[in-house]
Amino acid sequence: MDNDHIRRVFANKVSRRKFLAGVGAGAGTATALAIAGCGGSSSNSSGSGTPPSTGITDTDIFNFALNLEYLEAEFYLRATTGSGLSSSDVGSNPGGVTGGSAVSFTNPALAAYAAEIAADELAHVRFLRKALAGLAVDEPAIDLSNSFNAAAMAAGIGSTFNPFADQYSFLVGAFVFEDVGVTAYHGAASLLSSAANLGYAAGIYATEAYHAGEIRTLIAQLGDPYLTYANKISALRAAAGGGAETTLSSSTIVASDSNSIAYDRTTDQVLHIVYLNATAGVVSKGGFFPNGLNGTITASTT
Amino acid sequence: MGKNIERDMEKDMENNETNIPEQHSSSRRNAILFGGAALAGALLARNASAQTVTDTDILNFALNLEYLEAQFYTYATTGAGLPASSTTSGGGTAGGTVTIKANAMVPFSTPFLQQFAMEVAQDEQNHVAFLRGALGTSAVAQPNIDLLNSFNALAMAAGLGSSFDPFASETNFLLGAFIFEDVGVTAYQGAAGLLSSKTYLDKAVGIHGVEAYHAASIRTRIYQAGATAQGISQAIAATRAKLDGTNNDDIGVGTSSSGAATIVDNDANAMTYARTTSQVLSIVYGGGAAGTGGAFYPNAMNGTIK
Repeated sequence: MDNDHIRRVFANKVSRRKFLAGVGAGAGTATALAIAGCGGSSSNSSGSGTPPSTGITDTDIFNFALNLEYLEAEFYLRATTGSGLSSSDVGSNPGGVTGGSAVSFTNPALAAYAAEIAADELAHVRFLRKALAGLAVDEPAIDLSNSFNAAAMAAGIGSTFNPFADQYSFLVGAFVFEDVGVTAYHGAASLLSSAANLGYAAGIYATEAYHAGEIRTLIAQLGDPYLTYANKISALRAAAGGGAETTLSSSTIVASDSNSIAYDRTTDQVLHIVYLNATAGVVSKGGFFPNGLNGTITASTT
Repeated sequence: MGKNIERDMEKDMENNETNIPEQHSSSRRNAILFGGAALAGALLARNASAQTVTDTDILNFALNLEYLEAQFYTYATTGAGLPASSTTSGGGTAGGTVTIKANAMVPFSTPFLQQFAMEVAQDEQNHVAFLRGALGTSAVAQPNIDLLNSFNALAMAAGLGSSFDPFASETNFLLGAFIFEDVGVTAYQGAAGLLSSKTYLDKAVGIHGVEAYHAASIRTRIYQAGATAQGISQAIAATRAKLDGTNNDDIGVGTSSSGAATIVDNDANAMTYARTTSQVLSIVYGGGAAGTGGAFYPNAMNGTIK
């Protein structure tokens, strides 16, 4: 287990270095977000398959985060209300959402937890769109149906999986996203050039960690078969996203390394996970984003 | 910052309306009267120190907090504290004392909770070890820590009675843990942006995340423990917000008027709160003066931020 862990950390560090080498450290050319008092630069280009090759800006990173928040918000809002983000929250030319329906919650506490997380993810979308202002990317095409089936197949859970079928399947669906959000924001934190933006990112990051800790607690309590499903998903994420996973159990609620420090992932690793494609190299779409992300960080480089 | 104060107040008021007993509403209103001055003081203090604070200062500040958490969880799960070798300074100065009741091990009857408590104890010990390793000879010794009179004083301040023993039962243990975890989250969030080293920043953010995982699991269990435990968490959160001078940056566990739970301690933008080092000190000192200490640190912290 220790050797395994060290391998994972090593793999993580290597690909992180590659990522930095590929895009440049960026600090010199990075531009703070509008809300932090400066302008920025970005574009609304959709999954072109071209990895970012020049300096990465805070705007690029926050738009990358916005794509992930669109996904989470659509998942939780549809699960709790039956409807997704409203037209005022997705930009002028959104890609559309496939799948997702109201979960029939029979446990009031689970309904209350889900409602809170849905409100949080909606607030994250709204904050990032407001912060990015005219530079915010539109919501890309999102798939909440075929994606979960493909993930279930790849993870060895079965040929289909519907996270909206019942309140416990919903928890497993939530599990797919939350730890990934934590690792994505953690990886991005030290790439941000503005201290104000770091503060915002850290605040969103920790909220995602609260969500993850809550979801992991509830699934560990629930036990099998949901616990087994979650751990199969965890193994799938590890294969696609450079390790950075802790198998869930009642004595391993927290996902962290041997120093009890939460994992981080490069944008490359996050892209491999959300595109549900563990094959090394350039991957620019698939899985939860059938047409790729919007913005400048849309394709993996490694 | 991105906080929407007005909506924060609304979220707080929702808690007041649904769950917090009358006397808290009134004491919270009184606190608002002098809250502004205290906040201004905290901000001035932060600005004054921002010019000279080093990464070593910040990591040592974090180490003081981790000593406290590690001692709490280690005593709760084993009945004993950290070994002396884990509390001496990098230069060899012996660590301080821990004031605590005899036989402090919590009488756990739920394996699901006991296993989690042991996990958190290990995490906090790892954080102590990691920070001590990173600081090397610059690591401060553990200051004197109080896990007995501190909780009693806090209970009094929160209107929960004259005493509180976090080691007496599983629910009390959760509430004791609750006192620390959200504060740890806000402390790391406030400190992260002050670090100049990107490597330390990355590690600090990683510890920040683990504290948030802890906080969430504890808050979820308090939610499940029912209305009484939820009400106590709200009184503690209100006390923390009062002690840090803002009176609006802390939300206890419960259900808002919209029907959503309040597992996450965050603002209207769904961002967790950041606290300055001065605000954190005010909470863990129970309102005691900077440099003098009180509550959990009866003789103040060790290091330059104290």
